[in-house]
Amino acid sequence: MKTIYVIAKNTFREAIRDKILYGILGFAILYLFLTLFLAKLSLEELPMIKSFGLAGIYIFGVLITIFLGATLIFKEIERRTLYFVISKPVSRAQVIVGKFFGLYAAVALTVLVMALFYFGVIAYQGGGLDLGGLVAVFLELLELLLLTALLTFFSAVMAPLLATISAIMLLFVGHLIDGAVMTLQAEAGGAAFQFFNALRFVLPNLSKFNVRNIVVHELPVEPSSIVVAVVYAVVYSALLLYLAAVFFKRREL
Amino acid sequence: MIEIKNLTKSYAGRTVVDDLTLTIPKGTVFGFLGQNGAGKTTTVKIAVGLSAPDSGTVTIAGVSAENPASREKIGFAPEAPYFYDRLTGLEFMRFCAELFPRPDPGVGAALTPGSLGRMESILRDVGIYEAKDRAIATYSKGMRQRLGFAQALVNDPECIFLDEPLDGLDPLGRKEIKEIIKKLHAEGKTVFFNSHILYDTEELCDSIGIIHEGKLLYTGPVKEFCAGSPLETRFVELIEAQKHHI
Repeated sequence: MKTIYVIAKNTFREAIRDKILYGILGFAILYLFLTLFLAKLSLEELPMIKSFGLAGIYIFGVLITIFLGATLIFKEIERRTLYFVISKPVSRAQVIVGKFFGLYAAVALTVLVMALFYFGVIAYQGGGLDLGGLVAVFLELLELLLLTALLTFFSAVMAPLLATISAIMLLFVGHLIDGAVMTLQAEAGGAAFQFFNALRFVLPNLSKFNVRNIVVHELPVEPSSIVVAVVYAVVYSALLLYLAAVFFKRREL
Repeated sequence: MIEIKNLTKSYAGRTVVDDLTLTIPKGTVFGFLGQNGAGKTTTVKIAVGLSAPDSGTVTIAGVSAENPASREKIGFAPEAPYFYDRLTGLEFMRFCAELFPRPDPGVGAALTPGSLGRMESILRDVGIYEAKDRAIATYSKGMRQRLGFAQALVNDPECIFLDEPLDGLDPLGRKEIKEIIKKLHAEGKTVFFNSHILYDTEELCDSIGIIHEGKLLYTGPVKEFCAGSPLETRFVELIEAQKHHI
């Protein structure tokens, strides 16, 4: 555990010293302030601010995760910085898990900074403490946990560009697959439905983590769906890290 | 003691290390010599756990190199090292020290392995103490080489593997690193280093191994091999004789 913590701490430190990260974070905070002005274009200001704000936290969180994660392991192999780590009493699985936690800590910190500004904006607009927003941000963090694990896996087996493209494609598919299955079930059924329904259990099903539309309109989120999302994110991420460790163990450095 | 037995490694169908057997007794400074691509770095990479052999074994003090525990008592300085550029030299040293299963005693502790005092002492020895709080991104090539060497000593290893340790250093830097290797020798450490700078090898080593196209051509005392001639002359003669033989 100590080794994983040391690797995670180093990864976190490297990530938060990246100037580009602060560039993205700066844009994100500027955007969150701009939601105040964007909302004036609509009749209902507060729901619009919430909608733009939560979507902004999500999109910038995804951007930061992909930016930092696509090169996470690949860069260490290419630049041979791993030589210093693997030549110590450290297993490759510990490297994978440590890098994952370090990156996720950096991602979570930036999301929490953005969330802080978001809740500040909501309070300033007279919305008080946005409890629904808290749930939405929590689920966004869970989705980013899964995305971080996905990028850790991709960066251990492929080049950064391919890892980025693969992650973006899976993000789209992961959010659309539930809707696609329901449409096919209603309209056609048959082989296409069976195929997409099977895919739903293999590919990351990310619609579980999106409650933004629900909380914006102050509708309740089922506690059971939050529990399912937590279990799903943890189990899926653990499987991805296991696979990353298996592939990485066979990789020549 | 380092024991290499029948070690073989291939990349894409090309045998890089071919049935290599070597024994390096404890306390020896061993120079592993060969042309570029002869198999020196591959051998060291297998010994320090960066690569797995196709067949054969490497054991360090009786523990297989494939077992991470074998790396508790070794140090490794890679050739032309790359670093985490956003860390300072001291942060990097601390990171490396913390990867060993020892508690970090913290500021002002004695020169125990992994302690701040030891890290600073090593950085002084390799001549980059003044730059310890600067980001590694600002280090010159020679400073990076020295830092790579410094981190290999952070755990007070019994056995140190150095891949071209004198490459990229100016004459003063080479002198300082050679002094440290001599000091390690005097402390009874085993030093295994790859080098193509034969003059320095002759000066530093008790024994050498010469590898050519993956095969070991000679292993034994350096003085016995030289037999009064410069090491470089004897090395070239041996390699050329091998080429003509093929």
